[in-house]
Amino acid sequence: MTAATPALVVDDDMAARQRRTRLSRLAQYGFLALLFAFMATPMLVVVVFSFDANRFPAIPWGGFSLKWHRAVLEDGMIADAFLNSLKVGFGTAVISTVLGFAAAYIDYRWRFRGQSAFVLLVAMPPAVPVTILGMAMLAFLSRIGLFGTVEAIMACHVVLATSFAMALIRLRLGELGPEVEQAAWNLGASPSVAVLLIVVPFCKPALIASFFLSAAVSFDEFMIAWFVGGVHETLPVRILNLLQGQVNPKINAIGTLVLVVSITLVLLAQRFMRVRTGQPTATA
Amino acid sequence: MSQTAEATRGDAVRPAARPGRWGLGAPNYAASPAALPTVLGLPVLLWQLVFFAAPLAFLVVITFWQVRNFRLEPAFVWDNWSRILGSDTFHKALAHTMQVSTITTVLALLLAVPAAYTIAFRLTARQRDIAVAALVAPVFSSYIVRIYAWQVVLSPQGIANSLITAIGLPALPMLGGAFSLQIGLLTLTLPIAVLILVFAFSGIDRTLVEAAENLGCTRLNVFLHVLLPAIRPALILAATTTFLLAFGDFVSPMFMTGSKPPTLSILIVDTVKSGSQWPRASVVGVAMLAVLVVVVGAGRWLGAERRPKAKTS
Repeated sequence: MTAATPALVVDDDMAARQRRTRLSRLAQYGFLALLFAFMATPMLVVVVFSFDANRFPAIPWGGFSLKWHRAVLEDGMIADAFLNSLKVGFGTAVISTVLGFAAAYIDYRWRFRGQSAFVLLVAMPPAVPVTILGMAMLAFLSRIGLFGTVEAIMACHVVLATSFAMALIRLRLGELGPEVEQAAWNLGASPSVAVLLIVVPFCKPALIASFFLSAAVSFDEFMIAWFVGGVHETLPVRILNLLQGQVNPKINAIGTLVLVVSITLVLLAQRFMRVRTGQPTATA
Repeated sequence: MSQTAEATRGDAVRPAARPGRWGLGAPNYAASPAALPTVLGLPVLLWQLVFFAAPLAFLVVITFWQVRNFRLEPAFVWDNWSRILGSDTFHKALAHTMQVSTITTVLALLLAVPAAYTIAFRLTARQRDIAVAALVAPVFSSYIVRIYAWQVVLSPQGIANSLITAIGLPALPMLGGAFSLQIGLLTLTLPIAVLILVFAFSGIDRTLVEAAENLGCTRLNVFLHVLLPAIRPALILAATTTFLLAFGDFVSPMFMTGSKPPTLSILIVDTVKSGSQWPRASVVGVAMLAVLVVVVGAGRWLGAERRPKAKTS
């Protein structure tokens, strides 16, 4: 590797190749940096300009100010929307984690006819465009009289979030050898006791991760919430409605709030469920 | 690494386990053997049936209903289908949406493949974990806020133009066209595409690469003839996922182009909002689902084809 003897032609060749390699590495890192800059730019813009004294976000910066953040705190509609988002997010997180665990455990534990249809039914919702899903849910829920409530938004968010919860928990269950449960049965535990005392504790990190991820999915979702919520707005729906109106300098401040909450939720989920890329065994 | 862990765990427990004592008919089931799976499975099954399958089925049903005096009435007419499928607006929106999401798919793959390659092969394990975390975060956080931010950046008097004019160049009309639309759609799709490919590249057996290099393969040839074929299923998955997201997205076309020209999602929302034409909006929705089923099906077919190419996926 060290460029020691310059006399030989072979070494010249190698030096040239090394230079090419170094250049190509530099290009690769540069490209990656640009890509991350592209993803970070919108988030940074929202956060930075939420502290801008100017009414319209523009350069040059109008100086540091907390007035838009204060205005958000004093806005009753935003407070209501935030409260709705919290209710929907918490409910979704709890129910999705429970349902996701049930679905994952059933898929892990039993072989039955219609198993792939069952898994597909739970896994598929995120693959359906939310515009279509929202419209369908609105049409159906208004028929059965559930339209326009916070509970309706929650019920629909559970459909989306359970898919992610099942995936995370199923991944964890894949690491639980069948002999552990067998041992529990041999020692006299009934199957349900074994689930409660062995399987649930084993899945704890994945359950916590599912809780936070489901909350994040719900907190971020606005199309379905917009369709089925009626007059009940969640925070992202409030933003959607604000965006369709006049330019509103409060949007940056609400956006910062939404960003902080949702990124915190996702990071918490990741903290409990490390996604590993190193080992090929983790691809299941 | 984990392989050894699994082996030792198996060895330790195996003597204690008695074969034949687990499964549905195991004798230590006190109640009916189906009790536990029913208690666990029924709620989730019912929930998905009521709040997911039933609405979608109902969507198909409404496409045959009629609107009379602004009220939705059960009927069985093909009128909605023939009207929508024959309408010029629908054709234009379909062509536009197809075109836009195809471009997004191509761009996303072109950008994601080199990025994922760098993350998987050129970063340390720790850096790679951080990169993956940084990619997962935007997938689940505030898409709509980020689109608003791009509006601020790209608008005529926005941040990008402030920077451009500051160095003496004329301002560019960036917002409201194909450029801003693709920026928005890539904001949505690029992190997911990169993630899928990072996992695929990371799963490749490194000895394959070393073998090819030892046999005199150049980097480019290794990439084209070893790496790309090895991640083909993931490439197809990334492509179909990107297409699916871009095809169904409402926010980017709405806020990055001002819904001109309308995409199919915008057509749906407009049709729902501008009166009670639910059946026609449902026809558009079902047609979109049909397109997506075809695209996903084509992806699976492409992924499954030519498998016996002596590849250990």
